[in-house]
Amino acid sequence: MAEEVAAFRQVSKSYGRVRAVNGLDLALYPGQTVALLGPNGAGKSSSLDLLLGLREPDQGQVTLFGAAPRAAIEAGRVGAMLQSGGLMTDVKVRELVQLACDVHPRGHRVAEVLRDAGIEEIAERRVDKLSGGQEQRVRFALAVAGQNDLIVLDEPTTGMDVSVRQQFWSAMRRQAEQGRTVLFATHYLEEADSIADRVLVLHRGRLIADGSSAEIKAKAGARRVSFELHDADGLIEEAALRALPGLVALEVSGQGTGVRTVRIRSTDADAVVAALYRTGCYPRGLEVTSLGLEQAFLTITGEQDEQDSQTASPSGTESVR
Amino acid sequence: MTTLIKLEILRTLRNRRYLFFTVLYPALMYFFFVSAYGNGMPGGVSAKSYFMVSMATFGAVGAVLTGSAQRISLERKSGWVRQLRLTALPGRAYAVAKICSCAATTLPAIVVVFALGAAEGVRLEAGQWLGLVAAIWLGSFVFAALGVALGYAAEPSAVQPIVMIVYMLMSAFGGTWFPVSGTLKSIARFNPVYLYNQLAAFIRPGVGFDTTAAAGTLGFLVVFVAAAGVLYRRDTRQA
Repeated sequence: MAEEVAAFRQVSKSYGRVRAVNGLDLALYPGQTVALLGPNGAGKSSSLDLLLGLREPDQGQVTLFGAAPRAAIEAGRVGAMLQSGGLMTDVKVRELVQLACDVHPRGHRVAEVLRDAGIEEIAERRVDKLSGGQEQRVRFALAVAGQNDLIVLDEPTTGMDVSVRQQFWSAMRRQAEQGRTVLFATHYLEEADSIADRVLVLHRGRLIADGSSAEIKAKAGARRVSFELHDADGLIEEAALRALPGLVALEVSGQGTGVRTVRIRSTDADAVVAALYRTGCYPRGLEVTSLGLEQAFLTITGEQDEQDSQTASPSGTESVR
Repeated sequence: MTTLIKLEILRTLRNRRYLFFTVLYPALMYFFFVSAYGNGMPGGVSAKSYFMVSMATFGAVGAVLTGSAQRISLERKSGWVRQLRLTALPGRAYAVAKICSCAATTLPAIVVVFALGAAEGVRLEAGQWLGLVAAIWLGSFVFAALGVALGYAAEPSAVQPIVMIVYMLMSAFGGTWFPVSGTLKSIARFNPVYLYNQLAAFIRPGVGFDTTAAAGTLGFLVVFVAAAGVLYRRDTRQA
């Protein structure tokens, strides 16, 4: 693999008794667009704070371009847009963007940045007079004011309406097309699904899934197969259903009524259907539907919660806030 | 860093509240005191020159305390300080820019009151005027450092009352509204505003430059800068 853009090595961080980041271990490679997915309190912002050197980990090591985060930031290799990134007041948008361009070691021209971020029409406005969505775009402009190698965005589209959100992601794609590595945290699953080529799922400070959105869906059992089994067609044991290929979850309802409803989640729906007939089933009302990333996400985090409650340890079961 | 400093100065000058409280307010107070005390003051000091100095220091201290403490506290809360930490700017740039903008914006506060004093009939030699502006201007850095320390010490909701109390107490017992004497004077030697006012003592006939006051002011500068440094590092670890 190519040189690592960023790496977490067994990183943990606690706030008081709350473990916000728990043994995080991963690396980002050049040119990837990576979504950091997780519910509120999953440790997304904390992980980004550690990555950007805003906080120090309790354990483990965080590197950016093979060195301490601060060194990479001083070299102008990282642009970031924080969720809590306040802006300077009493100045115009253009002046603020000018500042960001000036302090960047490889800063772009102001006009270019204003155009790329789609904020030319508000350039003369005072920063304190902007709407939430406009503020977000100004923050984005600050993050892309220079020639960065990595762009980090924490929930960038919060407060944007749909059309602005689309504009924003097309601006974001242009950045990625120029070969930049992009890491963004989000809880909008469709954003991760349509934009990222790698999805990291964070839950209670731990990385519980890492792969393409297709892989994540597959891991959760990406397709659902449902049908009815009528006893009149011949009795099929549940054990036979359990032996179906790629099975992730099996749910049988209506026991003893003569008509059982079966719902199966599987990583390989085609093989399930083929095997059904081979075992001698006569599935009625057969339906094969695909799960969205959202369902996949709920499944994965749900499985993790189950495991956690089985192996309950005081540090593992605490949620953040 | 120069862009940041320029922007900090610009935004302060644009802020109407700043202009009112730090330039207009001391100027109005000056007129008020001059008309209240007339020409006679205890100790044979001219009210016009006494209050010219004390209102200039009053305006300067107010300008730097509110300019640095409140803004730093607010901008820590809003996340602007964090955003700046994600730029290539060195960590100290933010505080340095704040102090520079304070220093630049105290000058109008000082010069306006001095101009009023001159118009009221305060007569000094050219060298004394220059020395006076320089002393009051340089002295204001002490309070800029205090402001930075307070800005890093307290949350926005707490910092405003803290600044007002510190500012008013130091002014009341530092000779801003009336000359201190007797017991008050012996306590006032430990009050930075009193020492600051004393820096202007040399404009009185037959009085030299108060080196003790200068040393004391410098001492406070060292203490406040050290406190600001400690509080800044604490904040960096937390944010």
